[in-house]
Amino acid sequence: MSEEPKVGVFVCHCGMNIAGTINVKEVVEYARTLPHVVDANEYVFMCSAPGQDLIKDEVKNLGINRVVVAACSPAMHEPTFRAAMADAGLNRYLLEMVNIREQSAWVHSHEKRRATEKTKDLLRMAVAKAVLLEPLEELRIGMQPASLVVGGGVAGLRASLDLAQRGFKVHLVEKLPTTGGRAVGLGTMARSEMSGSELLRPILDQVESHTNIVTYLNSELVNLDGSVGYFKAKVVTYPRFVNAKCTLCEECVRVCPVEVANEYDYGLSKRKAIYLPFKDARPRIMAIDPHSCTMCGECVKVCEPGAIDLAEESRENELVVGGVILASGFEPYEPPFGDFGFGYSEKIVTLFQLERLLDANGPTKGQLVVSGTVPKNIAFIMCVGSLGTTENAHQYCSRTCCASSLKNMIRIRALYPDATIYAIYKDIRTYGRHDETLYEQATEQRVKFINFENTPNVNAGANGITVHVRDATLQASLAIPVDLVVLAVGMSPSSTLRSLRSVVKVGCSPEGFLREAHPKLRPVEAPADGIFFAGSVSGPKNVIESSMAGSATAAKASALFAKGEFHVEPITAQVTEELCSGCAVCIAMCPYGAIARKSVGDKKRAEVDRALCKACGACVAACPSGAMQQAGFKDTQLLAQIVAISERRNVR
Amino acid sequence: MSEPFEPKIVMFACNWCTYAALDLAGTSRMKYPPNFLVIKTMCSGRVDPQFIFQAFRNGADGVLVAGCHLGDCHYIEGNVKTLRRITLVRRMLDAFGIEPERLRLEWISASEADKFVKVASEMVAQIKALGPLSPKLEANA
Amino acid sequence: MYWCASCGGCEEATVDLAERVLELTNLVDIVFWPVALDFKQEDVEKLPDGSITACLINGGIRVTEHRHMAELLRRKSKIMIAYGACSAWGGVPSLANLYETQELISRVYREVPSLNNPDNVTPQHRVEVDGNQLELPELLPSLLPIDRVIDVDYYVPGCPPTADVTWNAITSLLSGKLPPKGSVIGAADNALCDQCPLNDTKPDKLLIKDLKRPHQVIPDPTKCLLTQGLLCLGPGTRGGCEALCVRARMPCTGCFGPLDRVTDYGAKTASFIASIIDLRNEEALEDAIDKLPDPVGTFYRYTLGASSLGGRVRNDKS
Repeated sequence: MSEEPKVGVFVCHCGMNIAGTINVKEVVEYARTLPHVVDANEYVFMCSAPGQDLIKDEVKNLGINRVVVAACSPAMHEPTFRAAMADAGLNRYLLEMVNIREQSAWVHSHEKRRATEKTKDLLRMAVAKAVLLEPLEELRIGMQPASLVVGGGVAGLRASLDLAQRGFKVHLVEKLPTTGGRAVGLGTMARSEMSGSELLRPILDQVESHTNIVTYLNSELVNLDGSVGYFKAKVVTYPRFVNAKCTLCEECVRVCPVEVANEYDYGLSKRKAIYLPFKDARPRIMAIDPHSCTMCGECVKVCEPGAIDLAEESRENELVVGGVILASGFEPYEPPFGDFGFGYSEKIVTLFQLERLLDANGPTKGQLVVSGTVPKNIAFIMCVGSLGTTENAHQYCSRTCCASSLKNMIRIRALYPDATIYAIYKDIRTYGRHDETLYEQATEQRVKFINFENTPNVNAGANGITVHVRDATLQASLAIPVDLVVLAVGMSPSSTLRSLRSVVKVGCSPEGFLREAHPKLRPVEAPADGIFFAGSVSGPKNVIESSMAGSATAAKASALFAKGEFHVEPITAQVTEELCSGCAVCIAMCPYGAIARKSVGDKKRAEVDRALCKACGACVAACPSGAMQQAGFKDTQLLAQIVAISERRNVR
Repeated sequence: MSEPFEPKIVMFACNWCTYAALDLAGTSRMKYPPNFLVIKTMCSGRVDPQFIFQAFRNGADGVLVAGCHLGDCHYIEGNVKTLRRITLVRRMLDAFGIEPERLRLEWISASEADKFVKVASEMVAQIKALGPLSPKLEANA
Repeated sequence: MYWCASCGGCEEATVDLAERVLELTNLVDIVFWPVALDFKQEDVEKLPDGSITACLINGGIRVTEHRHMAELLRRKSKIMIAYGACSAWGGVPSLANLYETQELISRVYREVPSLNNPDNVTPQHRVEVDGNQLELPELLPSLLPIDRVIDVDYYVPGCPPTADVTWNAITSLLSGKLPPKGSVIGAADNALCDQCPLNDTKPDKLLIKDLKRPHQVIPDPTKCLLTQGLLCLGPGTRGGCEALCVRARMPCTGCFGPLDRVTDYGAKTASFIASIIDLRNEEALEDAIDKLPDPVGTFYRYTLGASSLGGRVRNDKS
């Protein structure tokens, strides 16, 4: 600022709240002696209209250009005084408040003399800072009322639909050729006769047909620039090779020479390179898997409608959105080969594989047939991959596997009343309103519950499968011969998170899931504005919880879009490029990813995205050269406040 | 003329937690000693060790840095950086002849007005016992 | 050119100019340079005030004689330059400010392991020899940068300043195009990382897990030394030396001092180092810092004299 600072001090009585303890006259007299103070005044209620007029008059008549108000907490009336200054034609950020009510008069009422002295000290400090304040401008960012949703599972579908129904445009990006996520792979849902794909059918239909939703299948988010209000997303759509002319006649399937493991059945069945992912898959057209397709062209020859185009190329889509919802889900924990006998026998399956077996549209049409026979003795081993049961396992509880397993035990019992079912568990966690009944039902149906402390072993040899477990309740070791072992595997963070995190600047929890801004108070938001997490991408969740999270993110995104503009507080960090050496210390300080390390010629420099900066100042304190400063809280300003703590001027 | 020694303590308070706790102490009409001169920053992570040395240089007998509890920082983990810095600075005080008790780091959430009052009384008593800190200002007369 | 409490390195640095010294002597008249030329104090006293174009003082103010000479030369000079870390910020000798002078004397004259002082002699201000009173300059209570006793116009950083920095400073002086009074001249405006060949090797997030001392690591010359746990103070140190030490695989110890906006070099570098230690609880932090035996000596190696506190404080228990 080139103009000379002229400070106006205003000391409030707040009725007797302040004046009853603090000698306001003495404080006003003292204020007049401070450097750069042009005038000092007192008033009964500074926040009142006449009080505010006092400020405006001083600005007009005396050319005051820095305002110090000694009154209640800024939490009460900072906006009031800022508005008064704006009315008077002064920049709102040339205000410094001194808290002499909550933090002086009200707490030192028994020590009036010392309270008055403390007030003078605080005033002297505030004036010293006020002299160095500079005008600041709020940044206003236009809001693009459209959202990107990454992931077409339950959470992503729910979020997309909620947003679309509110009138906002949604770009839904899904890496597979179909939406539905993991839930469509579930057999019968708990307390229902419907399978996952049946349950999701309405929502899949709605999303497919809603005019506000554009779905990109076989697609991946490869780049994300910008920040809240204006993100530029680059989405690559890989070719499906089959278009809407497809009638699902399946002639192509008949002639396709390539057979691979079907990932939708978790390896339990095979599919061709051209395939319909599952019975109710949307859209109702075939897809070609580019990794296994040999491009032999046999399918093209038999396709009557001419729906196959093997020359189809990838497309790049540039999307502009105001917010991004990440809903890319989880991966089932994959036990290492040999853990619990996994991989040694077809009769040792995961919970997800079991779901496929029990699905009427699954590889065995809903019949529990494994290696050609119906098992008579079935052991569920719980907490596989969770609660630290093995060296490779996660330490956390995966939340959904207890209810899922119990539901399946009940289902199996219903289909096979004579089967013997063992639930070999470390802990049974059937929480909430719904799931305890599953446990009760299972016990009623004489599922044998065996509690373990030491992780059980599974021996899969030529003579069959034996589960060895030490029953912690009975304190006895058991060897149980079974013909099916179901490993209740937990939820792992998706392996796509690594590449996702290289595109979207979001952090990870120690468990490997995306880390939300605050687990209790801001559970579906990333620390950076405009980015939201829905579903199991931020931790294990069941379908109910994922659905809730989807709706929550839609609500959050809607709130953002409805504002039309995004205001950025001007007290953000700023780097003086000529003083920056590109040392990169600041980058690691910012939890919002607001600082980038850019190249300027062959040099590196820090760059702050004001839209992302939340103004904490952590980078400023860390900056080794002082190149990074925080507007309104610069080193010079705070140091001036500190130097003024005593009347001696010891400036160094 | 000789007044009993009253320590001057500079207190850095973060806007979201500690400053709010100080306000709550006020609205609850709690009582605590008037020895604290509060400097507000948005986050305790803004507190630069340079400020601490400058405070001691300018007459502070003690410095209190206070912010949100670990895990509850309004800015995610600004207070983690504060913890790192204050831990190192405290190690440096002894060589300067400053008792480490003169620099205190506390986590005070917005509702913990009573915790602040307790810390305040403790710290004033402690520093009274240690006596004033007066840096050599001019080495030569 | 004058030397106060210095090691002589800054004088050598001038010699490092090599052939450029000859160019220098063609351009200027050297009227006082005790280390090289036989001028005496009286010669300076006889000069008219303000007649010396520029005076470069290296070394800090430790004894009364230094203060006296600094004040004398200030009177006689148009431009006063603090040359080198000691005169600018106290330098390594200012680490003595962590001790009382009595402790220093006691250590040197009574306690060092290599002591041979059977008569328990300690330096005295006055002594009588053959009927004559002799006076030695007195030790001041602490070592001060020269700007604590005289008005300084410019600073040339380094311990010692490199030949190139010295030459840059001299040429900018002689060009007449001088920056504002109080500026640091001859060196860069930003930190050493800008000149360091390893700056580009830093990862996206610069965080360290462990603090190591130079004898504990054989540094990989292709990676930033900070990422290898070495305490390289480059990010907080003014550039200008072309990262000599780092190129020789030694972490920067900060001899070019602070950047313009930094008021306390030791506090600021401690701040950045602490900030990037990737630990989140007090116990782990204390353990990590245990590996650093002398934080004050490490961070304030060259700048204690100019720090906020200047040295050890005195507690009044009144």
